[in-house]
Amino acid sequence: MQSAKSMNEYHGEIQESLDNSFLRQALDKFAVAYKANRLTIFADINEKELIKEIADAKDESLDKLEDLYVQFKAEAEKRGVQVHRADTAAQANEIICKIAAENNCKRIIKSKSMTAEEIHLNHALEGEGLEVAETDLGEWIIQLRHEGPTHMVMPAIHLSKGQVADTFSDETGKKQESDISLLVKVARRELRAKFANADMGISGANFLIADTGTVGICTNEGNGRLTSTLPRVHVAVAGIDKLTPNIHDALRVIKVLPRSATAQAITTYVSWMTGSAEHSLNPDKRKIMHVVLVDNGRTAMLKDELCRSALRCVRCGACANVCPVYRLVGGHKMGYVYIGAIGLILTYFFHGRENARNLVQNCINCEACKDACSAGIDLPAIIHEIRARLVEEEGAPLSSTLLSTVLENRKLFHSLLRFGKFAQRPATGGTKFIRHLPEVFMKGQGFRALPAITAKPFRDRWAEIKRILPTEGKLRVGIFAGCAQDFIYPEQLEAAVKVLSANGCILDFPLEQSCCGLPVRMMGERKAAESTAIRNIRAFDPARFDYIVTLCASCASYMKNTYTEVLEHHNMRTEAQQYATRVRDFSSFVTDVLGLTEENFTKSGETVCYHSACHLCRGLGVVKQPRYLINAAAEYKPAPEEDVCCGFGGSYSMKFPEISGQLLDMKLTNLEATGASTLVADCPGCVMQLRGGEEKRGNKLKVEHIAELLARQLK
Amino acid sequence: MANIDKEAVDLFQQKAAPVSIKIVEVPGLDEAMAYALEVCEKKQPCELIPVAEGKFSAGDGGDARVVCVPNLSDKEYKTFADLGQPKGFTILRKGMRSYLSGIDVAFTTAGAAIADTATTIIESISEEVRLATMLAEIHVIALKKSQIKKSSYDVEDYLQKIMEKGPAYTAFISGPSRTADIERVLTIGVHGPLELHIALVEG
Ligand code: SF4
Ligand code: SF4
Repeated sequence: MQSAKSMNEYHGEIQESLDNSFLRQALDKFAVAYKANRLTIFADINEKELIKEIADAKDESLDKLEDLYVQFKAEAEKRGVQVHRADTAAQANEIICKIAAENNCKRIIKSKSMTAEEIHLNHALEGEGLEVAETDLGEWIIQLRHEGPTHMVMPAIHLSKGQVADTFSDETGKKQESDISLLVKVARRELRAKFANADMGISGANFLIADTGTVGICTNEGNGRLTSTLPRVHVAVAGIDKLTPNIHDALRVIKVLPRSATAQAITTYVSWMTGSAEHSLNPDKRKIMHVVLVDNGRTAMLKDELCRSALRCVRCGACANVCPVYRLVGGHKMGYVYIGAIGLILTYFFHGRENARNLVQNCINCEACKDACSAGIDLPAIIHEIRARLVEEEGAPLSSTLLSTVLENRKLFHSLLRFGKFAQRPATGGTKFIRHLPEVFMKGQGFRALPAITAKPFRDRWAEIKRILPTEGKLRVGIFAGCAQDFIYPEQLEAAVKVLSANGCILDFPLEQSCCGLPVRMMGERKAAESTAIRNIRAFDPARFDYIVTLCASCASYMKNTYTEVLEHHNMRTEAQQYATRVRDFSSFVTDVLGLTEENFTKSGETVCYHSACHLCRGLGVVKQPRYLINAAAEYKPAPEEDVCCGFGGSYSMKFPEISGQLLDMKLTNLEATGASTLVADCPGCVMQLRGGEEKRGNKLKVEHIAELLARQLK
Repeated sequence: MANIDKEAVDLFQQKAAPVSIKIVEVPGLDEAMAYALEVCEKKQPCELIPVAEGKFSAGDGGDARVVCVPNLSDKEYKTFADLGQPKGFTILRKGMRSYLSGIDVAFTTAGAAIADTATTIIESISEEVRLATMLAEIHVIALKKSQIKKSSYDVEDYLQKIMEKGPAYTAFISGPSRTADIERVLTIGVHGPLELHIALVEG
């Protein structure tokens, strides 16, 4: 549970995680194993199709949630279950405490429920003097340690067997060995007694079927079955978003949930409880069963067009499993009760701004979560939206306001960039890196060298370049430079110009273009995001261009996927649409549009490894093309985890240098291990980060943009 | 002759191994029963778990093995008891609340099965079924080949019929009880059975 009061405190907490070598190792191993296992377990089904079906079905359910509630209540009550609805967490706790009191329950056993954690149910029950024992092994361990979960599915993933042995030794008053199978036995023994003596069981629910009034729970341990069987009273507590129309929908959820959660085809147990089952200890031989449906902000979220899709979540935890930030800091630092990308979002809605403020900043926008989400939720987009709201409510931090003001005025922005060149001149010592900057700019930035602003940006070179370019060709292509290439790496654009102009493109570079706007969007600056988008759309008249090609994966995916959304309520919606359709990234343009093949390049013996930029492979789905091109021009050396973020993330690397630096280090270690001499990427931002890192690590790899390699080897 | 989907049966067997399900093929229910008794004979005596500080439920931990057959019909029960009692086993159909410290074997018959997840479906509205299948160290399920369907959508109608009527407690079981909560190391038998055997019955 992340509890820092200020950003400074939060950085302190993050550093603690980064220094925790057991945690780091455990999460590293998990991240790598999870991805491999996930691939295997999804191999026999169409993953994308299933996710799409889940998303559509969930949306449909959300549209008629009230009807589902009424139907579920009627059907469940017909079969002897009492159904309650709680508007707030406090109300839910009150209802459950009352059920305990009315049935004279003293000892409670629980099987896993995130909703119970959400409403801090244990706290409420213990406040009433009730004895509560968690029975999911992981939950029990952290309960004994008075900690919160660090993962939604594996709550104790942050602990070593030694730590668990110590905890169990304290609990049992006997020294316990740190042997996992023995420790599991200890739990079997200790918890059996608790099961035997409990008078109330509390579980969560993975789905609630309206058609039949069925409550479904998935567990591997079987504690859900015991919790719902042994005690006289059973209370299932769940968010109203778990309502689903029929059995088919539930079966569909069961297909995706265990696969995404732990890469299992199914959990060992799925219990479908339709009505109150037999119970020999109650006078009428039936179990006393209650279902408590918790709203706690959910119906409000439903009305929130931009964020409601977060209610599709099936709580599989995949968004944490694939998140590079989670992998480094763990759930205590990347969540409050809910963890990972969905945690950042739900904290804001369920646990308030205060608890969400720092958390929502800690996303590098790599889109790995969006790509893996069982319910097809665009998680990073919702995170940006929440940032935007926090900015609107509370005003922006100075840095973000400054950036917005500057970006809304192209001339000012560009002259500042030019000015940067003079300001840094004495500092760079004649190399392409900034050597010394005043401490205030360099805080935490020691992990990489920062590049110098070029003496002559691309826009100043253009008139000259253009003079010698062909004016005839089959395609009219506008070059979108993006800030990094225009002002730092114009040579990358020149390389692209060489490749494109030699293959039938009539090129132009509209000078009115400016920053794509992604940085301000990431900071939640809505107005600045709109005005930068409009400026670029105006700069590229659709009548004059067949394509708009950019060498920056982030600019490309942002402009292509988000411009229409940014201008959704603006009268330039149509133009935004036209613009977005024309945008292409460099690699896929070269292969798919220009049709270049290995025939067009001289294959050299140079060994080249590849970093797959987040916004290219996930943002645009461009995976094969760059690898094909590398292999056409040189010897491609594959590296492990090519598609994991390099840690740049634009302003993220300034805000969280400690995380950015770690990601960079892991990345370069993997890449250097290939033994290649050159590293290419499809994005100037990544090049900046990777080259800066290599400069610090002794330049074992020459880092460049893929366009530079291709230009060199073009026949 | 019941309709057997051979492909589904093969798939079930193939998916069972990775989730620690042991499968044996037997000609009929009687042989499935004999198999369960054989399993019981070979196993270590049940390791009883105290239900309170130093207190155990029924069963003395000695050689008297306890087998529960909670969902057999009267006739099936008689067959089972006739086979098991001569071996000195206690054969029960009910009363599982007195055995919370554990029993040796639970033997049940399945209602349906799903091949692509190696899932057996057991209707468990009866408390005895739920308890026996959780308290036993080894759970042996008799499953007819004709009951195996390929995917979960193929048992939808089966489920619909049961749940429409209700009350019902329908259990999907796809292996022995397991956890990976400590250092992500897969460990079998946390709260429930340590082993799950399926006797695949012809027909
Ligand atoms: S976008 Fe990347 S960094 Fe952000 S939450 Fe998702 S996975 Fe984590
Ligand atoms: S947001 Fe998606 S990936 Fe994350 S827990 Fe929910 S369903 Fe799973």
